[in-house]
Amino acid sequence: MSPASVRRRFPAGTGVDQLREYMAPFALRLGYRFNDDEDFVNEVLASEIEILEETGDVYCPCRVRTGDPKEDVKIVCPCIPFYADQFAKLRKCWCGLFIRTDVTDGSELHGVIEVPEGPAEVPVALAEEFPPGTLRTIRVGKREITLARVDGEFFALGNVCRHAFGPLGQGFMDGYMAVCPWHGWRYDVRDGTTDHPDADVRTYETFVREGYVFVTV
Amino acid sequence: MQVRLFALSTCPYCRMTKRFLDDASVQYEMLEVDKLEDEAKNSAIAEVKEISGGASFPVVVIGEEVIVGFNKKRIKELLQL
Repeated sequence: MSPASVRRRFPAGTGVDQLREYMAPFALRLGYRFNDDEDFVNEVLASEIEILEETGDVYCPCRVRTGDPKEDVKIVCPCIPFYADQFAKLRKCWCGLFIRTDVTDGSELHGVIEVPEGPAEVPVALAEEFPPGTLRTIRVGKREITLARVDGEFFALGNVCRHAFGPLGQGFMDGYMAVCPWHGWRYDVRDGTTDHPDADVRTYETFVREGYVFVTV
Repeated sequence: MQVRLFALSTCPYCRMTKRFLDDASVQYEMLEVDKLEDEAKNSAIAEVKEISGGASFPVVVIGEEVIVGFNKKRIKELLQL
């Protein structure tokens, strides 16, 4: 890659400690923290620094960059949103740099395991950072989902408005109704229904545990 | 039994896998995919995607079996170590 095409997110000379400090709050909001194995964390981050020096960004050292920016963006560390459903079941990210905040013994997760079958309970946001009466789009693996809060309750539903495919999660709330920002179609966040025939969106189960909002996919 | 290791030079689990196979004196063929030149790299990525369904490393091929990640237990079973 020519130097001119490098888009630097971190300045040259960025070190392991700076990366750690930078990434930790983003991982925490997705329900993850650094692995307890300090040596392992340092080894992974040292590999990421090598990649950073070459490319200007930190990519997962266990996956290959293809040169296609649309693909490669999915392995920028932390890559958790793009694989949130798989990682939620593994209880760690692919390379194990990050483990779920609710894991007590990270050492048992060493090595890479097959992703178990079945639904995934995915931490998607800190409840205290999600004000009542608001909504936003979240990414859970390949899905985009609208997450909405009404008083103390959270709701999750399909993110694409069935009218003109507007991004529902970028709209606004009116009581229990999520209003599409483009043309104002309204969806009841409790069951995904709208006034328009055959245009309901699907909903997902949500719950709050240890301060995190979870979506089951 | 033929053993192949698809690896990345940057990947800690690839290094662990390599160390494990070396320590067990297993004969294997290793391809460091990120160190290959353009065309060879693309064809290696295509092969990894085909056999493993993704582009995550390491990928260990033992006979007909494909193991994604450093799964010591599974390698031991297949090679009867």
